[in-house]
Amino acid sequence: MRIIVTRPRQGRWNMLGTWALYRREVLRFFKISAQTFFAPVVTALLFLTIFSLAFNGEGRSIGNIPFVQFLVPGLTLMAMMTASFANASFSVMFEKIVETIVDTLMPPLSPGELTAGYVLSSSTRGILVGVTVLIGMATFTTVEIHSWFFVIFHAVAASMLMSVLGLAVAIWAEKIDYVASINNFVILPLTFLSGTFYSTQHLPETFRLIASFNPFFYVIDGFRYGFLGLHDGNLTTGLILMISLIFMFWLGCMKLFSSGYKLKS
Amino acid sequence: MKRIPTGPKPLNIRPALTGPNWRGMWTLYIKEVHRYLKIFGQTLLAPIITTLLFLMVFSVAFGNGRMVDGLPYVEFLAPGLLMMTILQNSFANTSTSLIQQKLNENIVDTLMPPLSPMELTTGFVLGGATRGLMVAVGVGISLALLVPVSLHHPAAIIFYAIGAALMMGSMGMMTGIWAEKFDHVSTITNFIILPLSFLSGTFFPITRFPEIFQIISHYNPFFYLIDGLRFGFTGQSAGSIEIGIVLVITVNVLLWVLCYWMFRTGYKIKD
Repeated sequence: MRIIVTRPRQGRWNMLGTWALYRREVLRFFKISAQTFFAPVVTALLFLTIFSLAFNGEGRSIGNIPFVQFLVPGLTLMAMMTASFANASFSVMFEKIVETIVDTLMPPLSPGELTAGYVLSSSTRGILVGVTVLIGMATFTTVEIHSWFFVIFHAVAASMLMSVLGLAVAIWAEKIDYVASINNFVILPLTFLSGTFYSTQHLPETFRLIASFNPFFYVIDGFRYGFLGLHDGNLTTGLILMISLIFMFWLGCMKLFSSGYKLKS
Repeated sequence: MKRIPTGPKPLNIRPALTGPNWRGMWTLYIKEVHRYLKIFGQTLLAPIITTLLFLMVFSVAFGNGRMVDGLPYVEFLAPGLLMMTILQNSFANTSTSLIQQKLNENIVDTLMPPLSPMELTTGFVLGGATRGLMVAVGVGISLALLVPVSLHHPAAIIFYAIGAALMMGSMGMMTGIWAEKFDHVSTITNFIILPLSFLSGTFFPITRFPEIFQIISHYNPFFYLIDGLRFGFTGQSAGSIEIGIVLVITVNVLLWVLCYWMFRTGYKIKD
């Protein structure tokens, strides 16, 4: 019998364990693929329909770009962010409620490995949702890519940012209610009001100033730049902000796991 | 004065074989209402925030001073949003309540007491409708702070609000009874209720649709609900109000009978 050594030495990554956690999480959301993939596509297409019909014949365009095409990146990113957050938060929350989280904490996984497993699997869901939504929308409008770097960078960054946030919220939350509150009262307003549906140039001066402090604004703006080649905010600020926020929250999640905050008694 | 202790009065919950069990129905209704009031942050506040977000996003995206059907766009939008919240919340309440009880297997506690199928239907549907209407009042008040609201025809507002709440309450109940997993409920919500409540004239007049969809819309009860409520507020309607009233009453009776039949046969509830 071959003995699988999951922890060969101290100070090295438990690749097998991290991979197992990652795979378990990915399989979890594939089991309910109607909810995880088709529902976001339908919702995004509904928004697209509503906006294009509501603007029908009124020929509104933003900087020479038809409004529908302006919407595509925003809606895609919104779907990705919602999916990543939902995955990370509900997975951990659910394990806490049914008290199976111990099965994840007991194996020889370090806080860094736990964080990596959860965050990467949730980001995978976000990115897969983004790809599905984009394919769904490409059948109705033309989708062109201006800069692959910005599209990929912001897609990955947005998914990872929402995953680390979701993870942190789930560790903190005691009831599913808390997660839903954060989702409804923080995440949803921030995504809706960060220029998903309109250019911030249409906002009054004060609101535009507030928007420039909203990290979600930069990620949507940068992602949209990748598609359309136009932006409202500073792109470099966006890149730096994304990297530092993810880094910060990642360390935060590791700290939460290692201290056992609300996880171990 | 010395109080004479009295023993518990025997509860006469089923005095005769005929006549409705008022106390039992009231208890079920109160249980349903308490269930969502316990999580009022999710059930009452969250829909209000979402509706206000929709209002804000659409009014910013549309810019100022745009007219739709002779009305400023926000005034056109407000009744649509109000109806959307009634539809979604009444449906959500009965469907999640029932599927949760089924999954926890404590639905037996609701089926065992001496409640007839009609009484069960009444308790659940009214509980769900109450949530829809409570959310509607909250949303209505917050919309009135931001948008000029006129009450053109209060009777129509009340009729259509209650009609919609009851209709979705019974539809949610049927979904809850039919569903075997939480997944089934979210499938119905995401793929049927959400699209219908979005595309039935909530955000734009259905004249914006291609010809064929306009014809289909005239058979869509959600269209009449939204249109009727909008008529109540603004006096403008795209469809016929008379057809709307007849349709709402017919659909409600039909769904109610279906729910009754489901409880009666024990479809997917009893072995």
